[in-house]
Amino acid sequence: MTVEKRRQIESAVALSLSTFAAFLGLFWLIFILGDVLVHGVSAMKLSLFTEDPAPPGIAGGGLKNAFIGHVLITLCATMIGVPFGVLGGTFLAEYARGRRIARIISILSDIMVSVPSIVIGTFIYAVLVKPVGHFNGWAGAVALAIIMIPVVLRTTEDMLTLVPWTLREAAFALGAPYYKVIIQVVYRGASAGILTGILLSIARVSGETAPLLFTSFNNSFFSVNMNEPIASLTVTIFQYAMGPYDDWHAQAWAASLIIMIFILILTIIGRLIIKWRYGKR
Amino acid sequence: MAVLLKKNPIDILFLGITAIASLSVVLFIAGILYILFTESSESIGKFGILQFLFSLEWDPVQELFGAATSLFGTVVTTVISLMLAIPIAIGIAIFVTEISPNILKGPIGIAIELLAAIPSIIYGMWGLFTLAPIMSNYIEPALQKSIGKVPLVGMLFKGTPMGIDLLTASIILSIMIIPFTASIARDSFNLTPAVVKESAYALGATQWEVVKNIVLPYSKLGVFGGAVLSLGRALGETMAVAFVLGNNHQITSSLLDAAATITVTLANEFTEADTDIYLSSLFNLALILFVFSFIILATAKIFLLKAEKRYSR
Repeated sequence: MTVEKRRQIESAVALSLSTFAAFLGLFWLIFILGDVLVHGVSAMKLSLFTEDPAPPGIAGGGLKNAFIGHVLITLCATMIGVPFGVLGGTFLAEYARGRRIARIISILSDIMVSVPSIVIGTFIYAVLVKPVGHFNGWAGAVALAIIMIPVVLRTTEDMLTLVPWTLREAAFALGAPYYKVIIQVVYRGASAGILTGILLSIARVSGETAPLLFTSFNNSFFSVNMNEPIASLTVTIFQYAMGPYDDWHAQAWAASLIIMIFILILTIIGRLIIKWRYGKR
Repeated sequence: MAVLLKKNPIDILFLGITAIASLSVVLFIAGILYILFTESSESIGKFGILQFLFSLEWDPVQELFGAATSLFGTVVTTVISLMLAIPIAIGIAIFVTEISPNILKGPIGIAIELLAAIPSIIYGMWGLFTLAPIMSNYIEPALQKSIGKVPLVGMLFKGTPMGIDLLTASIILSIMIIPFTASIARDSFNLTPAVVKESAYALGATQWEVVKNIVLPYSKLGVFGGAVLSLGRALGETMAVAFVLGNNHQITSSLLDAAATITVTLANEFTEADTDIYLSSLFNLALILFVFSFIILATAKIFLLKAEKRYSR
């Protein structure tokens, strides 16, 4: 065999392996999405949304409490996390731009994005559950907010940095103070990007389970009281999937499907906004 | 900037508010470290730091605790999942940057990102109901019949295939971390200047030779950073492994045995801890996990920053 031939074959083999790897990745995606879709659709019932859980072992009932609880926790987390994230990102991109402190906080946030979420759960347990004496919805919301803040902060920083400096100078030249420049000029220019960051961070936390396990815990009854344990979809999925009843498993699949669709839609909307606003990225 | 600040009190107020908001991240990190440390002080005091790390005991009844069994599970699942995920992730990155026609680039990129967006609890549940039966019925018996016969290596595949074991957990974990590694590897590959690649092609290099001798050396820092980042992620992953690991505190030579990781121990036992020393030991585990993953993630970040700096010139 000539050297050329060997090189050609080697190249062909290596490239086919890479192609195989890519299709393996696609295969897992289709396998998992398809599986959740098939099981989820077959378990989908109207009673899921209108009824509270039946006592364990008794068929029927729904997950109304978990849906409401999940939305409530996520909403509260968003209301805490987004202001911190957006304002924090503003500080890094505007007042502290180019300074060492901005760089350090930025790097620390990147690390915080990947810190194990269960550790944040234990932290909140020590701070907000143990002193109060019982699990409560606020603890869950704060735990999710802590996960959210670095995500929103970093995207806000990046998006504000993309706004051309000359735009700010133009506003300064008109005599505007910096805070007005930020709010009326910079935020407006970066609004699409900031919104995307918020959407993606909501997508991120709405699938979180680990930080809720010992903060908001679970509640088999309908409750909107954030001072008490409150049900969430993800913790309910964990409990139901590990439980012994077929009916529980079916409901867990249905709940997974709903969460998955919600998250995928948010993620895709986020991508579309970026594409539409900032062109090809 | 400074002149503007002096003139306007509202500006100073806004500066203060934004500064506090951004410092919250630092406060959280310091707070987590402080709180976990104080909460685990009872456990540290009773067992000592090193003894706790290396003690094989995990006995809530006799109130003897050690991290070794949980650490074992964490290290084994992480290492195996990385071994499975990194080659596939690099393959995906090569495919997307070098091989695929432009029409396919977008969809595959999106598919990989969606794979990353699926919450871990769904991976976990899918693992329990779909992957675990497949593993116990087909893949694990097949492994036992083939590689399991080889001396020494066979040790890894002893026991009854149940599907609820280290191997299944590692596979799920690897599917979860493929997207992270792949997208970072892809971004690093894209940093290779086209001119250098074109020069190699002009010299008659094959496509694989360009990847092997130009693209990979050029992007190795970034790829390595991506791999370390995936390591950090895999270390702290909870729900994807909680379903299929069995939470069995033991050190075993077989990948077909149930085990426990730090995260699985926390998820399963935290709300059940009935004594102070039990809870304190669980906090101690959380502290160990936090410190290790922080160090690993920081290392990854340093590598990625270095890679960025080197090639942005």
